[in-house]
Amino acid sequence: MENITKRFPGVVALEQVRFEICEGEIVALIGENGAGKSTLMNILGGVHQPDEGEIEVAGQAAKIRSVSDANALGVGFVHQELNILDNLDVGANVYLGREPRRLGLINRRKIAADTRPYLEVLGLDVDPETPLAALSIGQQQMVEIAKALSKDAKIIIMDEPTSSLTLSETERLLEVIHDLGKNGIAVIYISHRLGEVNQCADRVVALRDGCNAGELRREEINHDAMVRLMVGRDLERTPSHVSTRALDSKRFTVSNLRSSLYPNRKVSFEVAGGEILGMAGLVGAGRSELAQAAFGVDPPLEGCVNIDGASLKRGSVKESIRAGLYLAPEDRKQTGLVLEFEIIQNITLASLGSYASRFGLIDRDAERAEAERQVESLRIKTPSACTAAINLSGGNQQKVVLGKWLSMNPKVIIFDEPTRGIDVGAKNEIYKLIRKLAERGVAIWMISSDMEEVLGVSDRIVVMHEGRISGELQRDAFGEEAIMHLAVGGPKT
Amino acid sequence: MTNSIVNFANQHRRETGMLGLLFILVSITTIGTIEEGIEGLFNSMFLTPDNLKNLARTIGIYGIFSIGVGIVIITAGIDLSVGSLMALLGVIFLYFVTPPGTRPDSALARGIPEVSWPVAVFWILVIGTLVGFLHGLLVGKLKLQAFVVTLCGLLSYRGLARFYANDTTVNVGDASQDLSMARKLGDGSLGDVLYGNAEKGMLHNVPMTFIYLIVFAVVATIVLHRSVLGRYIFATGRNELATKYSGVNTGMVIAIAYLIAGFCTAFAAIPFCIYTGSVQPATHGAFFELYAIAAAVLGGCSLRGGEGSIPGILIGTTILIVLRNMVNLMGYPTPLSDAITGGVIFIGVLVDQHGATGFKRLFKRKPKAA
Amino acid sequence: MTLMTSLISRSAFCFLALTCVTSILTSCGGSKKSGGKKKVRLAFVTNASADFWAYAQAGIRQAEAEFDDIEVEFKVGDGSAAKQRELCEALLVRGVKGIAISPTNPSGQKEMLNEWAEKAALITVDSDAVDSNRKFYLGTDNVAAGRQAGELLKEALPNGGKVMAFVGLGDQANAVERYRGLKEAVEGTKIEIIDLRTDEVDFGKARRNAEDTLTNYPDIAGMVGLWSYNAPLILEAVRDKGVLDQVKIIGFDEDPRTLKAIDKGEIHGTVVQKPYEFGYQAIVALRAMVIEGKTPKDLEIPATNQKFIETLVIRKGEGLNYLKKCEAWKASIK
Repeated sequence: MENITKRFPGVVALEQVRFEICEGEIVALIGENGAGKSTLMNILGGVHQPDEGEIEVAGQAAKIRSVSDANALGVGFVHQELNILDNLDVGANVYLGREPRRLGLINRRKIAADTRPYLEVLGLDVDPETPLAALSIGQQQMVEIAKALSKDAKIIIMDEPTSSLTLSETERLLEVIHDLGKNGIAVIYISHRLGEVNQCADRVVALRDGCNAGELRREEINHDAMVRLMVGRDLERTPSHVSTRALDSKRFTVSNLRSSLYPNRKVSFEVAGGEILGMAGLVGAGRSELAQAAFGVDPPLEGCVNIDGASLKRGSVKESIRAGLYLAPEDRKQTGLVLEFEIIQNITLASLGSYASRFGLIDRDAERAEAERQVESLRIKTPSACTAAINLSGGNQQKVVLGKWLSMNPKVIIFDEPTRGIDVGAKNEIYKLIRKLAERGVAIWMISSDMEEVLGVSDRIVVMHEGRISGELQRDAFGEEAIMHLAVGGPKT
Repeated sequence: MTNSIVNFANQHRRETGMLGLLFILVSITTIGTIEEGIEGLFNSMFLTPDNLKNLARTIGIYGIFSIGVGIVIITAGIDLSVGSLMALLGVIFLYFVTPPGTRPDSALARGIPEVSWPVAVFWILVIGTLVGFLHGLLVGKLKLQAFVVTLCGLLSYRGLARFYANDTTVNVGDASQDLSMARKLGDGSLGDVLYGNAEKGMLHNVPMTFIYLIVFAVVATIVLHRSVLGRYIFATGRNELATKYSGVNTGMVIAIAYLIAGFCTAFAAIPFCIYTGSVQPATHGAFFELYAIAAAVLGGCSLRGGEGSIPGILIGTTILIVLRNMVNLMGYPTPLSDAITGGVIFIGVLVDQHGATGFKRLFKRKPKAA
Repeated sequence: MTLMTSLISRSAFCFLALTCVTSILTSCGGSKKSGGKKKVRLAFVTNASADFWAYAQAGIRQAEAEFDDIEVEFKVGDGSAAKQRELCEALLVRGVKGIAISPTNPSGQKEMLNEWAEKAALITVDSDAVDSNRKFYLGTDNVAAGRQAGELLKEALPNGGKVMAFVGLGDQANAVERYRGLKEAVEGTKIEIIDLRTDEVDFGKARRNAEDTLTNYPDIAGMVGLWSYNAPLILEAVRDKGVLDQVKIIGFDEDPRTLKAIDKGEIHGTVVQKPYEFGYQAIVALRAMVIEGKTPKDLEIPATNQKFIETLVIRKGEGLNYLKKCEAWKASIK
């Protein structure tokens, strides 16, 4: 791809970007959010058309006007959000849209037979007639890759493929990528997880603000170098964190809470005011469900939550919010924000009553003033507080979620994967905010699957395994291995 | 100045566009109905006082229930029961005001006492509101699909209305009490109500239903666009989950939206029943729910929820009524009326969504993949 | 500013599209603005859409063609009073001077009928609003029609026998009147009318009614269908049972199946109304009142202000001819 330029209304998303990949090469494409990675790949994948520039495939100038053009040229795209239908079976997903037919009907047997070899290549040991819903997310991802392979893809683009995978699934995926490379298939790998990039990439291409920011060859790849390219400056690594805060004990206690995912497991723990409790565990350990139960959106079957000694009514979000217990959920787009709403409206949504006059009318000036205060203090990057949340980057969206809670009087904040899909620079800002909150005496319960994050930010770590707390680590016992040990089940009791 | 107009148009793109469409329709109708010797402005039939009065009266009735349906649509719901509910409420209203002996004999007819008409109006509003609230609880609290709940309403209220009336027509004229004031309030003009005649000039000729609509519109605009409840309605329609995560009782917000729709329907049912002079349960208010949905969609409500405005709904209603008036006045065959209405809604929505390119896309030959 | 231009271009496009639609529509109908002197506008408003009204329209067009000083708008209702109100109000705005209407619900529409009667000459057709200010009523005398059916029955059953009558809704005015006339005509003869069976306009039930009657009364000699669809359904039931020669059938109205069966001798006869005459006479009378200033009295309308148009009896050999006539009427309005 030569000199690709793409303009969107108001912004130049890509400016004279150059990108090339050889047969069988694994290239990691890195950059902060908004750097233009997705746009560049969408152009290659036929989703967008470039305003300028040429694309050559195998030495031939190519015009990619649609996704089917891209497929015809051997470009397969595995999107960040899985594009699969979990009401169909594996084979049906792989051959969706080009079902082999017999007598006008779908030839199921042929689909199954044709799908099997691709699954074998990927080491996915499932029957092609298994319904997709029965597979784990990691396996579903493999199905996506199988789909790309079945279209004779020579180049496979993977956009953040590991963002919802467990550790072992990630390992498996990296192996698969490695194998694909050996079989002569080029892989373009977009990820924020520099550790993975380090493991698998032959070459790293970095974008910054829509321009090429540099490249690293295999031997040059290391964490600091990549960060430097992405951010354009040296970034302090997530600083090892030494807690000096005075803890206000037992600000928040969870006792005998049973969530609907693991109805037989009771969980109890406590978080002190000013403490950051990290909660680690594998995907599916029941951490998010526990948080939702404590917050009240998914009413717990049993158990209670106390704040400063006062017990909360079970299963009432309203009550939780009144008591100062807030949740910054994992899925910002679905549950954290009303995306199409302005920043102002998102920030005041939970505390609208306090901006209302006697007749229930909203004082818009007060509302706006508060929103602008939050925009400023959280340093949300936006043209104005009237911008719709959907137009913000992931990090800034997360800040708006935070702003919603900070505009009130937080005592306990639950962060569920606070930096998922957020780029490195913004991550650090979020961490700083979390620490600042703790310094103000807020009890923080942070659920995270990102090892670095859990280790770097927490004062104390509890690890969950299949719905129960399998162990607790104090600062001096922190370590990836210790966490992993507990996450997979811990000591047999 | 121009800047602020552009800003306004930008923020209310849909409404501005539809206002343009309305303007075009009005111009076409005005020009198309010019005939010598007509008393209206520019000799146009469309602009005669009589026609404008008829228009305003109809817009009043349709506008009121369209506002209710629009609010429900903003919560990402739908209300299909409007027309049937109006038929049922019409039958019950007329039962309330007629002596038991002159009603068609049915279980309901025997069960309803004769009351004076203001009391009857009160009960109709209560019943309509409760029915709306019931829909709301089923949709908001029990999480049944709005389409299904109100579809059942569409079928059963019409069925009940026909059953209770023995499938015969119930007449306003059967009432033994003096309904002249009710008639004036429902079907008359401001002048009728204030002075007993409507001769005194423009303002006196404004139909009462139009005045009610203005009151409804002002209140609804404030509630929807300025109040906490209104914000919750939009937020719930946009993203119910995120709203719930912010501590809002979204089930109750939805229930209240349907309650409002029930109240609006009940309120419109009374002047409409006086307008027709009778309730034929099989046809009374048929398809009204669809007119309301069309008005709301034309006016910028998205069936996906979270989008829409009261001025938009009013413009949508007006477009529909003006269209029908246009068909009647320009002398097109009556059966074409609905076809033209459908066509214009389609063009309006298509142009709004895609501009002129929508047409090109519609007719573009699909490039054959190699 | 791009927004403004886009808005303008959108509006312009909208306008173009609408003008296209309008001009297409205008060319395929719409107001007829013929040159020459201005014609007086009259209107005919039906209660609903039906073949019956298509025949009336044929009469209307005939009358319109005979006089060069009128033009007639034919408007089809949808069975609701609301639609009729919408149509009539628009007609009055259009300056219509005379309206013939078949009110969907005469008693409930009194108020609006009176209002229109103030602004234009108003007559009712086919169903009457007796206490309104309409000039007069033009329609069928259903009691007389019932009697004619009774006479047909007497012809068919000179030796008498048991007879059953069938109708959709027993409490509708025309059903009550036809049934009354039928009973009057056979009074004192050996013909015994057992009962009136209703089907709530459910065709399946109408046919079952006929079948059950054949089962319950093996000695049944005659069956009368008071509404147009009854006779063909009775015929099917009788044919099924194989008793065509034993049971005489009398029908009402001009359903093609009835007319064909009459010529085959399967149905004895039918009594038809004259919708063509309704249309023709309504327009002629309206024109006379509006243009020539005549009163109903001048037009020889009886003092009751109700003018009945006699019904016609169709017997064997006349069925297909009448069917052809109906089809010719339908064809003439296209």
